[in-house]
Amino acid sequence: MNLFSQRFRYETTESLKMALFQIKANKVRSFLTALGVIIGIVAITMMGTAINGIDRGFDKSLAMLGYDVVYVQKSSWSTMGQWWRYRNRPDIKTEYAGQINRIISNNPRSELVLAVAQRSTYQASAQYRDRNLDQVFALGTSHEYLQTASGELTAGRFFTGGEFSGNNMICVIGDDIASGLFPDEPALGKEVKLKNRKFRVIGVFKKQGKFLGLFSFDNQIIVPLGAFERVYGKDMFTSIRVKFKDQTHIEEAKAELTGIMRQLRKIPPDEDDDFSVNEQRAFKSQLDPIKNGIALAGIFITGMSLFVGAIGIMNITFVSVKERTREIGLRKALGARRQTILLQFLIESVMICLIGGITGLAITLLFTFAIARLVPSFPIQVSFDLIVASLTVSVITGIVSGLAPAVTASKLDPADSLRYE
Amino acid sequence: MLNSKSDSAVTERTIITMKSLCKFYEMGDQTVKALDSINLDFRLNDYTAIMGPSGSGKSTLMNILGCLDTPTSGTYELNGQNVAAMDDDELAQIRNKEIGFVFQTFNLLPRLNCLRNVELPLIYAGVAPEEREERAAEALVKVGLGDRIRHKPAELSGGQIQRVAIARALINKPSIILADEPTGNLDTATSHDIMNIFGALSDAGNTIILITHEEDIAHYTRRIIRLRDGKIESDERQ
Repeated sequence: MNLFSQRFRYETTESLKMALFQIKANKVRSFLTALGVIIGIVAITMMGTAINGIDRGFDKSLAMLGYDVVYVQKSSWSTMGQWWRYRNRPDIKTEYAGQINRIISNNPRSELVLAVAQRSTYQASAQYRDRNLDQVFALGTSHEYLQTASGELTAGRFFTGGEFSGNNMICVIGDDIASGLFPDEPALGKEVKLKNRKFRVIGVFKKQGKFLGLFSFDNQIIVPLGAFERVYGKDMFTSIRVKFKDQTHIEEAKAELTGIMRQLRKIPPDEDDDFSVNEQRAFKSQLDPIKNGIALAGIFITGMSLFVGAIGIMNITFVSVKERTREIGLRKALGARRQTILLQFLIESVMICLIGGITGLAITLLFTFAIARLVPSFPIQVSFDLIVASLTVSVITGIVSGLAPAVTASKLDPADSLRYE
Repeated sequence: MLNSKSDSAVTERTIITMKSLCKFYEMGDQTVKALDSINLDFRLNDYTAIMGPSGSGKSTLMNILGCLDTPTSGTYELNGQNVAAMDDDELAQIRNKEIGFVFQTFNLLPRLNCLRNVELPLIYAGVAPEEREERAAEALVKVGLGDRIRHKPAELSGGQIQRVAIARALINKPSIILADEPTGNLDTATSHDIMNIFGALSDAGNTIILITHEEDIAHYTRRIIRLRDGKIESDERQ
């Protein structure tokens, strides 16, 4: 090894030892100095964790909707809240499903697999004896529904084609319904009342969790479409779920479906669609501004606290340089070069920041575990990237805040410094 | 015995040459001539005391001799190298290799034990840890502190601390030992001890320059240079 790198290594080891010593010797001061960084890193990691969590929760929710399913509906999801734009559109008919399926089956190169019609209401009430559940999501559909939706059954089965065409009064219920109406007994075979009509439970879905923390598939009752219409009529919200072959061909699938729908509705080429083909991505694009807002606010807060922290560290490093002027003079007299002194003080400020950063991370992890324990449904996720990012930010803060004092120290005149009282 | 330069002591090689060396300071609109056209030689194994009242320029001369400061004009050659033209880092290297400092206020780092204090110059010289420790322990044995190497300065007497500082000054086998009022903070008996160590170092062939304002200390040396108002008033060999 050449002298240069050898010397650098020994000097750095010495600086590391000195920095540790300084921090240990001034515990309270070092802690107070690091506090700014601790707060900054907690802010950074908490924000990142929240955004990660939102993302993950969202993806989980979207997975429930299905990545390979699009919905033909009257209005568009991406412009929700502008219902007046769609008011005058004609209603979606359940017959479209069969018509679409026929067109698909005649086209061997179709991107589409299956269309299933459904009518639904969020306002259903379900009763069993004296128990009553409001705001239940009731859905009338065909026996092919399961092919277009996620969800496994923990008990029983889904209804068959025969039961579907026979408009049998049977239902498959979500986990919340099962536990809400039948807390102490198996749900299978019992009769649930919807608007005083009795539906026999033939299947129970496995718990899926909430969609975006708002809507839950565990809160649904699925019945054959004809039976649904018998109870709720034909005016309820109607969609056609259409499953396609390849997630990566979603645009082609949507284009094909749009073409089929225009054909079914006989829309002239110069007129706009009077229906919408919705996909789960529309939700994602709606969420992005919220996510960006959180990120921006987070970066601002984090930036501020790190900035304040950096000023604190700069200040204390200046004090440290002042206090150790004689030591700097002595080290220079004994042969320390400028960069040696510079490095020594930089290492010290970086070390304080790094300790602050690690402490901040530990606090965040503790928080995260606590939240995950207390509120399991709250989407929260610590990532490796986040840990790397926050440690990097700590080191950069250390360098930025330590640089000016370290340069000052390295430029001190050795003769004057030795005489400094 | 105390240092290994003794083998070359027979040749009276000049190791320091100063020619028309000046150091001026600007104080407001006045120019203070701290050193005014100094011409000086130091030969190998010289044992010199530099004396003078305060303001005579002896501290400035000491700083320049120790490469802690550079002259305004003139030349300063140390071991054939023109120090006056060097930058900060080159000067740091010269200080590390060529000069051993002993200060009035000792200047040991209080949190390091004797061994760590003595090995400091070797860190900046790029010497490996094991060798550093070995040499530092050896140097401490030479100044009579072989049983104190793990002690911290606060656990030692003034005389012992100064001996640690002398060990540190010797550790890198410098060309000159530069002692700035080395007995200034010590009582008479301890001063005598320290001067005996310098005497032994000189006998072993080291080149020593003392700065002092005490006549009796100066008389331990073999050459006394007196400064006044930035000029050499007298330069006597005994």
